[in-house]
Amino acid sequence: MILTKKQKRIEWALAIVMIILSLFFLFPVVWMIANSFKPDAQITADMNTVNAFIPPTLNGDLFDNYLSIITNTSFLRYMGNTLLYAAALIILSVIVNGLAGYALAKIDFPFRERWLLIIMMLMIVPAETIITIHFLFIAKMGLLNTVVGYILPMIVNPFNIFLFRQVFISLPDDVWEAAQLDHCSAVKYFFTMVLPMSKTVVATVSVFTFLSVWNDYLWPSLVFTSSDLLTAQIGLNSITANVNTTMGMTLALITMVTIPVIIIYSLFSKQIVEGVMSTGSKEG
Amino acid sequence: MSFIELKNINKKYPGADKNSVTDVSLSIEEKEFIAFVGPSGCGKSTTLRMIAGFEDITSGELYIDGQKMNETAPRDRGIAMVFQNYALYPHMTVEKNISYGLKNMKVPDDEIKKKVDWAIKVLGLEEYRRRKPKNLSGGQRQRVALGRAIVKDTKLFLMDEPLSNLDAKLRVSMRNEISKLHRQIGSTTIYVTHDQVEAMTMADRIVIMKDGVVQQVGKPMELYEHPANKFVAGFIGSPQMNFYDVTLRDNVVTFEDGNKMTLPESVTSKLGGRQGGLILGIRGEDIKLDAQNISLFKADKQSAVVENAEVMGNENNLYFTFGGASTVARVSKYEISGAGDKIEFVFNPTRIHFFDKDTELCYI
Amino acid sequence: MAFFGPALVLLTVFLFIPMILTLIFSFTDYFALSPSLTHFTGLGNYISIFKDEMFLKAFINTVKFVIIIVPLQGGGALALALLINRVTYCKKYFKVAFFVPVVMSLAVVSTLWMQIYSPEGILNTLLGKIGIDPQPFIYGADQALPSIAIMSSWQGMGYQMIIFLGGLQAINPGLYEAAEMDHASAWKKFKDITLPELKPLCVFVFITITIGAFKMIVQPMVMTGGGPSHSTYTLVYDIYETGTVNWEIGLASTMAIVFIAFIVVLTVIQTILTRDKEDKEEKK
Repeated sequence: MILTKKQKRIEWALAIVMIILSLFFLFPVVWMIANSFKPDAQITADMNTVNAFIPPTLNGDLFDNYLSIITNTSFLRYMGNTLLYAAALIILSVIVNGLAGYALAKIDFPFRERWLLIIMMLMIVPAETIITIHFLFIAKMGLLNTVVGYILPMIVNPFNIFLFRQVFISLPDDVWEAAQLDHCSAVKYFFTMVLPMSKTVVATVSVFTFLSVWNDYLWPSLVFTSSDLLTAQIGLNSITANVNTTMGMTLALITMVTIPVIIIYSLFSKQIVEGVMSTGSKEG
Repeated sequence: MSFIELKNINKKYPGADKNSVTDVSLSIEEKEFIAFVGPSGCGKSTTLRMIAGFEDITSGELYIDGQKMNETAPRDRGIAMVFQNYALYPHMTVEKNISYGLKNMKVPDDEIKKKVDWAIKVLGLEEYRRRKPKNLSGGQRQRVALGRAIVKDTKLFLMDEPLSNLDAKLRVSMRNEISKLHRQIGSTTIYVTHDQVEAMTMADRIVIMKDGVVQQVGKPMELYEHPANKFVAGFIGSPQMNFYDVTLRDNVVTFEDGNKMTLPESVTSKLGGRQGGLILGIRGEDIKLDAQNISLFKADKQSAVVENAEVMGNENNLYFTFGGASTVARVSKYEISGAGDKIEFVFNPTRIHFFDKDTELCYI
Repeated sequence: MAFFGPALVLLTVFLFIPMILTLIFSFTDYFALSPSLTHFTGLGNYISIFKDEMFLKAFINTVKFVIIIVPLQGGGALALALLINRVTYCKKYFKVAFFVPVVMSLAVVSTLWMQIYSPEGILNTLLGKIGIDPQPFIYGADQALPSIAIMSSWQGMGYQMIIFLGGLQAINPGLYEAAEMDHASAWKKFKDITLPELKPLCVFVFITITIGAFKMIVQPMVMTGGGPSHSTYTLVYDIYETGTVNWEIGLASTMAIVFIAFIVVLTVIQTILTRDKEDKEEKK
């Protein structure tokens, strides 16, 4: 592009605006990480200076807040719990929603079009409105405070079914025909052909399932009362509610909760961005 | 009973008001190479997919090797198929693609290896064994698809427009390879194509279809020399046969633009006394411009002005208007004419076809 | 059909039946602790919730929240997307900076901003530097809701920004080149090309923000407990407390039905607005 002098000035102004904006967006996160390494006295003392955004220099008590979380609370356990729940839900979610999406895309069964319409309509029902009934069900089944009770209502997801269906519908039919001639059963075809051929959507659904499990607050706060089964978010809340928890520890806690999602985001930012864009392009 | 028997096969899709395939009956012998040819939507692919079992047969009977197959699953029909878009398993290497079916059929490992090695060698894929389809060229992919078919020891190969995704040059060489492979392996082959050149050059017999109905079945030269109707005459051969609406009185043909041509008694006698309105057809190569032929059929010499000339190198196509229709003559490379040149020519009367004006059936 | 089976069972148990039960309960006085005393009350619940001051307060709070957040987050997202699309350097850095808050959990963000909003917190310190008196933020009845709205749009803006970026990238660059040939100014290009091309996406984005805002609960739950003096008590918060704290499932179901009806109306509006455009295009 050829830039005139005026355009160059605009370019510069734009860059400055963007830097200020991005600083505004990042300052809470930077402040969180920087101060998670400080004792409360220093956090308050630094508040007035630019040091508020700078982590302390390396010394012996740099990780005091983190160590005190690890030794005095079960927070690592809660994080481990959440990882396990997420792993289980990712597998179940890909299988159940994937199979349903495949059926809606490629298998002729009665009222298929009608079902697709119902699934699309279910996508607009906010989960928050039926959470009470879920709670009632799980309580009646005696599954409160159990992993099964937590996972069961979260497996099926109309949005994931729809996402899978949209991808599977463009899979070529002739590959399935060729596989049939190669004596491949429908179930085997789904697991050994359809899923490997659709790595992107599997990754997208997995990443979004992970994020939703990791970040969920309402449902685990209902299912899990006090026990070893808590998820990271609920554990975070119960620990920060304790008066003995310092500000530094709170910041260290939320930094710890955020680390896994930042890792996932940096590894799968492509899938995440594509997933987000796909929710838009469906409409646009 | 022949190896494959189609008896009055019909296909009607639910909700459609017309049959897609109507009353197809056909016998195919073992080791034969049969080509189904016709314009798109003529029902050739549907017929093939009914033989494969991917489409239900609405009515009629299908026998393969003496057994009725109407209700048999595709995998149990003893067939192998090559698909238009190759249908390779995208996440598997060449080797795995070829061996996949054998593995599912629980063939012993050492036998699989022997067969795959043989197929890879026959198809010249040695260098690409461990590549995935996306790293192969179109021609290589097609070879893998062929490999997947030939390892399976089936007596029947089905090919659905296997060359239509290749460029023109590759198409010619793959044409030869498939023909060679067929001779080498000897499996019965049913080959669907919209390209009459492929059908003419590869097939033992051609089935030509239009609107779901078989128009003619025969050896390539039979179809070329003795088309059953105007459609077959026009579809087979390139450039297309020239057609004229004419009126026949005694031995004199009158074209729409008033030009007249006298035909020998030996030609008109084959018409069984038919007179009046007819369609006359003549192929481009039977319009003669050379002195020898002109002197032979002197009385019927015609003339026209060339509108366009296609110089092909080995021969020339001359386009001009004659008899109220656009006409193309295929002449040798020595008879060069350019646009605007006046030419004189004759129709070789022994090669003229006549078709009924209404039924379009061929009389001679 | 076998493929659709697992999803169908889960959909039935955790979506269809809960929805039907919600509808049925909404006409009863079902009290979870004494289910045997349930009576059919007809439209009684519907009448009483609209006389219930707390519900009306929650409703008004939610509407206020929507009114603040929709222009802030939607307009902000569009502005960010336009800026990022325009900027030539560090595109990737800016995208990440604006998207990081999206992947953080509501509980984490709420906990973090509680620290930021605290009376002696970093925000008041920063404001003090430019001569503004300390503000109560989430501890003041007047400021609590706007404070949460600002935090929420800080968190969510990156998501819609990505959607808008997808829309911007989908615009045929030839249109701008043609406009350049037609001597269009930068403003004209924006008004005559960018905006019309983005219109369906804008409708989608604004509706999703609206629906999301109506579902707001975790932030006040973690930060303010709905206070001070119920100034951050929202619709879903009311449904949640009525159902799972007070066990008045009947009443909670009525609120849920009213809420779903609201969401459905919004979705219908969105469908009409986007379809309208397609029809016009067809007529052209």
